Amino acid sequence: MINSILRYTLIFILLMLLQILVFDNIQISGYINPYIYIMFILILPFEIPSWLLLLISFAAGFIMDLFSGTPGMHSAATVLAGFVRPYILSINSPRDGYDQHTSPSLSTYGLRWFAIYTVLIVLIHHTTLFYLEVFRFEDFFRTMLRVIASSSLTIIFILLIEFYRRGK
Amino acid sequence: MRNLLNFLARYNNLIIFLFLEGLAIYLLLTGNSYHNSRVVNSLNSITYGVETKISNTRNYLHLREINEDLAAENIALRNRIGRLVKSVDTPFALITDTIYNQQYYYTSGEIVNNSINRQKNFFTINKGKRHGITTDMAVICGDGVAGVIIGCSENYSVAMPVLNPNFKLSARIKRNGYFGSLGWDGRDYRYALLSEIPQHVSVIIGDTIETTGYSAIFPEGVMVGTVADFEKKGGDFYAIKVKLKTDFNTLHFVNIIGNLKKTEQHGLEKLFQ
Repeated sequence: MINSILRYTLIFILLMLLQILVFDNIQISGYINPYIYIMFILILPFEIPSWLLLLISFAAGFIMDLFSGTPGMHSAATVLAGFVRPYILSINSPRDGYDQHTSPSLSTYGLRWFAIYTVLIVLIHHTTLFYLEVFRFEDFFRTMLRVIASSSLTIIFILLIEFYRRGK
Repeated sequence: MRNLLNFLARYNNLIIFLFLEGLAIYLLLTGNSYHNSRVVNSLNSITYGVETKISNTRNYLHLREINEDLAAENIALRNRIGRLVKSVDTPFALITDTIYNQQYYYTSGEIVNNSINRQKNFFTINKGKRHGITTDMAVICGDGVAGVIIGCSENYSVAMPVLNPNFKLSARIKRNGYFGSLGWDGRDYRYALLSEIPQHVSVIIGDTIETTGYSAIFPEGVMVGTVADFEKKGGDFYAIKVKLKTDFNTLHFVNIIGNLKKTEQHGLEKLFQ
């Protein structure tokens, strides 16, 4: 228990540093900003209580907001992602359910399952984030383009990290 | 799977979610000047509509004062016109005579009592002897004939509108100048009858009817109304139905016209009758 808390804390710090130091500096023509820190919400164990998930999501978003100087923007998006995660897990559950004491990962449930799971949550998160950022509907399709481009990049990076984790 | 559903059921995470999401949006709206200004702007555009309505209502409530100001200004201007109009054809005049080239003078008034649905209608104006009103002065509303003053007290005067069988007015068809007598048949407050127009005269529906100025009460050329209908009725004369220009149902502000030379004209006419 203590061990896993320590492990997730380390992953959290690592992902945050990766996001802030590396991925925040990837801005391709102002359109594509991958936000891979959302991966932390993806890989939390199945047994985590919803309230804790929501609090962790809020904390992750809040820290991101502190570093990017946009109070509330990431928080709103991550809290929504944390809120929908249990529903997406139940919709997307494998035929024989989830095994006890596992966490969502590519190695346990396969690429297809993990990809669908990631795509859904990343899309929800990025849509909220980008529309909150522009905060108007005039550039609706431009914003949608940004959402799709950035989500694609985020998903690719998350899958790459998952492959690396499985390989280890 | 069952565990998961149990978790969903046991923890009412919706409340926590709404709380945290609300907190995030609160931070978003207060912490970012861009988002803040967007919200303020859209709220402004909502309240703008309400404020326009309030302002319109306020303007409406002030219409009374505005009307009074405009009426006073109209009177001042009409008096100036009255002074200027005859100056052209009066080459010699006493320079001490301040009204030598003015025939009509104007005063504004407000209707305080009015009736339209009786046979003999009257209306009361809030100006009287103290304001220079005397009997037999003309009352007009805007550009239309309204009535004649028939009695005055210190502060009020009673006028007989067109809507009274005793009201007789010398009126003519503006297009060709044929004149007749205008009266009211006691039926509809919107229409009056013009008689004594001979049948050989051409009358068209829509013709303008105006005053002649023969009675020395109304100035020449004040509009009475337009021809609404006409028929040949026995004898040699038309019975012309005139749609009155003045709406007596909404009559409120009027101008009272005095003729400075009326006594002179009537005195002269009396010598030969």
